[in-house]
Amino acid sequence: MKINHHPDDATILAYAAGAVTEGFSLVLAAHMELCPHCRNRMAEANAVGGELLSELRPVAMSAGGLDNIWSRIEQEPEVAVTQPAVPAAVDGVPGVLTPYLPEGLGSLPWRSLIPGIRQYVLGGVESGRGSVRMLSIAPGTTIPHHTHMGGELTLVIKGAYEDETGRYGSGDLADLDDTVGHQPVVGRDEPCICLIATDDRLRFSGIFSRMLQPLVGI
Amino acid sequence: MLLAVTNLIPESENMAGMAVSEAVDWLTSVAKNRDRQAFEHLYDYFAPRVKSYMMRQGADESSADDLAQETMVQIWRKAHHYDPRKSAVSTWIFRVARNLQIDRLRKHKLHEVELTAEAEHNDDGLGAHERFEKRPDAEKLTALIGTLPEEQMDVVRLAFFEGLSHSEVSYQLSIPIGTVKSRIRLAFDKLRMGMGEKI
Repeated sequence: MKINHHPDDATILAYAAGAVTEGFSLVLAAHMELCPHCRNRMAEANAVGGELLSELRPVAMSAGGLDNIWSRIEQEPEVAVTQPAVPAAVDGVPGVLTPYLPEGLGSLPWRSLIPGIRQYVLGGVESGRGSVRMLSIAPGTTIPHHTHMGGELTLVIKGAYEDETGRYGSGDLADLDDTVGHQPVVGRDEPCICLIATDDRLRFSGIFSRMLQPLVGI
Repeated sequence: MLLAVTNLIPESENMAGMAVSEAVDWLTSVAKNRDRQAFEHLYDYFAPRVKSYMMRQGADESSADDLAQETMVQIWRKAHHYDPRKSAVSTWIFRVARNLQIDRLRKHKLHEVELTAEAEHNDDGLGAHERFEKRPDAEKLTALIGTLPEEQMDVVRLAFFEGLSHSEVSYQLSIPIGTVKSRIRLAFDKLRMGMGEKI
């Protein structure tokens, strides 16, 4: 898989700082599972976080701080803390998404949004005023031109689309902020399935599209 | 709130108190030997900094103290997960503190993947100490961070330590969001170049 589009440095930094929504972290983790380049960038951003933590002006701990820690360690049973392993990718779907798509892509309960576009909203993922959803877009479909109030991260899982900023295929991540408007067009050969997180509402630009907004609920 | 920026000026001698290799030895000894003395060295250095971090994320002093204690409890419990080939001790502790902060203060979770890209290619017959070179070199990174222009560091620090989104940083510093992002890009380009990587 040749990945050509990656998250911005500013987005990686916000992710490392923990200043993104859970929804954004899910899309970024899914991309990084597929992208060694961005795993390295994340490791660097975390290292910057560690260095900056070391530079912080220390604030003295309370007098009994260390004793409290020892008694917490002794009182609470020593459970082996294991980090849950991320399941392996199945059928091109990053493993980090598996808990949200237990039956795989094939049997997702898609809901038709507008002709040519079906969606599945991932529930229980903190997203500010936005959302995380899978979209399945029929070949040749054009998504109405829109901008975003906040940010939008789109990870292509299958198929491809093109917009003003280039062609996005499997594994590519489009990182858009509120300064960018776009009108994605899906390739003619196959449907495009992508994972999209927003942290605020979208803003459609045409009158017809704006009328659609309450209906599609994006 | 703008005062916060000036409060973030680092103390230059902080790192002087602890060599990076010492921290690796302490954390490794906590993992292998359940070494209480080594743990207390880590506590002396890191707990007051983690407390400071928690306060910048919006916790009051007593909650920040509690969160710093809990971070240290987790460090004791998870020490065996630390892999010196993958990250510096400060990086690993930062992640533990950050994830606790997200869980307790922001009340959601942060999805992550294992950042094992480097470790997978380590079957090269090098000894353990040579392998340590594979992780981002913490001392080099510290020196490089010191060379970044203040205007870039202000943006990076606000994002890391005030937990601010780019639009909040943009508002607080009264600069456009595009400028916030370009300063972050410039800072990371410079760090990567300094670490000897292709951009």
